[in-house]
Amino acid sequence: MSSDFYNISILPYAGIIIKLCRAYTNSQLDFEDYYQEVCLQIWRSKDNFKEESQWSTWVYRISLNVCLTLLKKKKNNVQHFVSDSLTAEETEDNYAFSNESLNLLYDAIRKLSEIDRAIITLYLEEKSQKEIAEIIGTNPNNIGVRVQRIKNRLKKILDGKIN
Amino acid sequence: MERSIETIWKEGFLASDALVAPKLNNLYNQKSIHIIDKFKRMFKINLIAIVAFSFAFLIVSFIVGIPITGVIFFVTLSVLVIINKRLLNDLEKIDLGISSYNYLKAFNQWINKQVAINEKISKFLYPIIFISMILGFWFKDAEGIPLGERLVSEVLIGFPDTYLLFGIPLIAIVIALAIISLLVHFGGRIYQWDLNLVYGRVFKKLKELMTDIENLRS
Repeated sequence: MSSDFYNISILPYAGIIIKLCRAYTNSQLDFEDYYQEVCLQIWRSKDNFKEESQWSTWVYRISLNVCLTLLKKKKNNVQHFVSDSLTAEETEDNYAFSNESLNLLYDAIRKLSEIDRAIITLYLEEKSQKEIAEIIGTNPNNIGVRVQRIKNRLKKILDGKIN
Repeated sequence: MERSIETIWKEGFLASDALVAPKLNNLYNQKSIHIIDKFKRMFKINLIAIVAFSFAFLIVSFIVGIPITGVIFFVTLSVLVIINKRLLNDLEKIDLGISSYNYLKAFNQWINKQVAINEKISKFLYPIIFISMILGFWFKDAEGIPLGERLVSEVLIGFPDTYLLFGIPLIAIVIALAIISLLVHFGGRIYQWDLNLVYGRVFKKLKELMTDIENLRS
């Protein structure tokens, strides 16, 4: 991958890629793996971009699809589907942001299902219901209801933990 | 007053450390493997191994005097490789840039197609291998006459009342047919069992993801 491609086509969207990858990992090592894999797959798939959607939407789709279908090699070489290994208890190398509230929010997000993690991350990034539906491939009308449900669940998880 | 999750999100990412992109290095030596890359790799290795094995077995079969087994093995495994190479080409066509639902659906459809085709092949593959072994050893040269005929002669000396059908003891035909029937019946299941052992968790997870998105679509 050329640095030009990375700087022009990926870096402007790195913010949301980082936020999505963080929602599916909870250690710095895993996060770096995921981020690199997303960048690699964007680069590999770039010739398939048909300008039917915005480049940013396409990048988010790849990021999400990669996060949903990554196999993670564990230390004992047994391969697991990524989200099977995401409980905080199992992970020794917990990553922490400097902002404690954000850490608690991410911990709560990681307790959601894979699809709900994507929906809430895209919602918090102020993506419209239509764009979230386009990325996931679902009905925009249902996104609003699901977001509300996810927010209620997050509030319940975070209840009393954040002032 | 409690802050909203939107506020926590915005304020959290104002901190300078929150959005640092990792350096891209060592891209081809990562710990994580994309599921499609994994399947592609597995497929390619399997196909190369089958081609190498069928060639080696063909040569060995001529050396040890069972060329019929070697040739049937070679032809059968070549057909298997050609079919699976075509399946691999389909896998290359799955576009990561489509929506998650369509992407997972395309991948799921590919898996189902691949499993269905290989299940059907397995129902024929194991019996053909078994038959090729019998034929190979039956016609193997044993001091001027085929090994099979020699064995039948020896059986007839010990058991002169043995009933023969086309020059073969009926009991042997019945046993061979029973084994072939079992291999036809369990061939698909053996393949399915083998596949689930390696990818059962992945398939389960894919199904869960698909169900979740389908619920959201309805």
